[in-house]
Amino acid sequence: MHRPFAVADTCFLIDWARYRRRDILFKLFRTVFVPEQVLDEIRSENTVAWIAGALARGWLSLYTPSSMEVEEAIRLVEWSRLHPQAAAIDMPEALCLVVGRRRGYIVLTENRGALLAPRLNKDYSGVEVWRALEVILEALRRGILEPNCERPDTVFREYSLDTLHLFPSKALEEAVKEVRRLCLSRA
Amino acid sequence: MPIESLEELLSEEKEAREIRRRMADWRFIESQPPRIREALKYYIETGDIRRAAKLAGLALEDFRSLLRRARIPVVV
Amino acid sequence: MGDTVALGEEVLDPRRAREIRRRMADWRFIESQPPRIREALKYYIETGDMYVAARLAGLKIEEFNEIRIRARIPNIA
Repeated sequence: MHRPFAVADTCFLIDWARYRRRDILFKLFRTVFVPEQVLDEIRSENTVAWIAGALARGWLSLYTPSSMEVEEAIRLVEWSRLHPQAAAIDMPEALCLVVGRRRGYIVLTENRGALLAPRLNKDYSGVEVWRALEVILEALRRGILEPNCERPDTVFREYSLDTLHLFPSKALEEAVKEVRRLCLSRA
Repeated sequence: MPIESLEELLSEEKEAREIRRRMADWRFIESQPPRIREALKYYIETGDIRRAAKLAGLALEDFRSLLRRARIPVVV
Repeated sequence: MGDTVALGEEVLDPRRAREIRRRMADWRFIESQPPRIREALKYYIETGDMYVAARLAGLKIEEFNEIRIRARIPNIA
């Protein structure tokens, strides 16, 4: 069953805002929440304009964390500092993970610490974390994006070209395999 | 969830660092003022964008723009 | 809050409120603002939501309200 809500952190938004197909995000989710602490970090004209427009349309919504959520996020930041395997998590990402855990939202992030947290911290094992890679894959699965079956890596290359954000080779390989499977199933 | 296993996720950092080193515009980096230069080098080595931005004395998004100008990719 | 406009209607149609904000705004002033402020003012014109507009601008509500007044955008009640 598709989850209607996501919560996005800064690193995800500032790259995603440059992607030529950025509005597919709003076909995947009913609303994407943006914590206030994340909004505070947005600077560029392009990103601000896109966020403001999406807020006005109700596709994005501002999220004001409660004091309990902030407190839990601080504990998560501390946890990341105590565990060498876990890459550092900072407050904006930690808040997104906390919201993901408490509200069941999918967390959109490009932060390695946030990606690792559900695997390394049992309290967050139920949190679903997506990078741009997983967002694009899901859009392909749901037919929101059409795959290029002759060049199945096209849609990922487009994102990388627009943002100067590359995907790790193993992850990209798996994603391209999935696109080939989608193409075969539709043939 | 990310499509790699935990082991794959953990091992990606080495590949990411090599890609950042290889693709970076070193001429641009070496021409920067010391604080910016060191922050860019720190980012290349660690991939830690927040700490690198703080080292540079820049807001996160401004540092991200600087990475693009230095041709240093984010690899996640 | 400054120049609040009461239009003598029990409940104002949000579309009408938006039209009034758009029409009365000082667009020259708005377009001359830095990106965050500019987008926040435009957002406010579209929605009338001062809290979110202030957060977009990175300002406290009172600070944003001052800019709203300088932009001649009415706060419609």
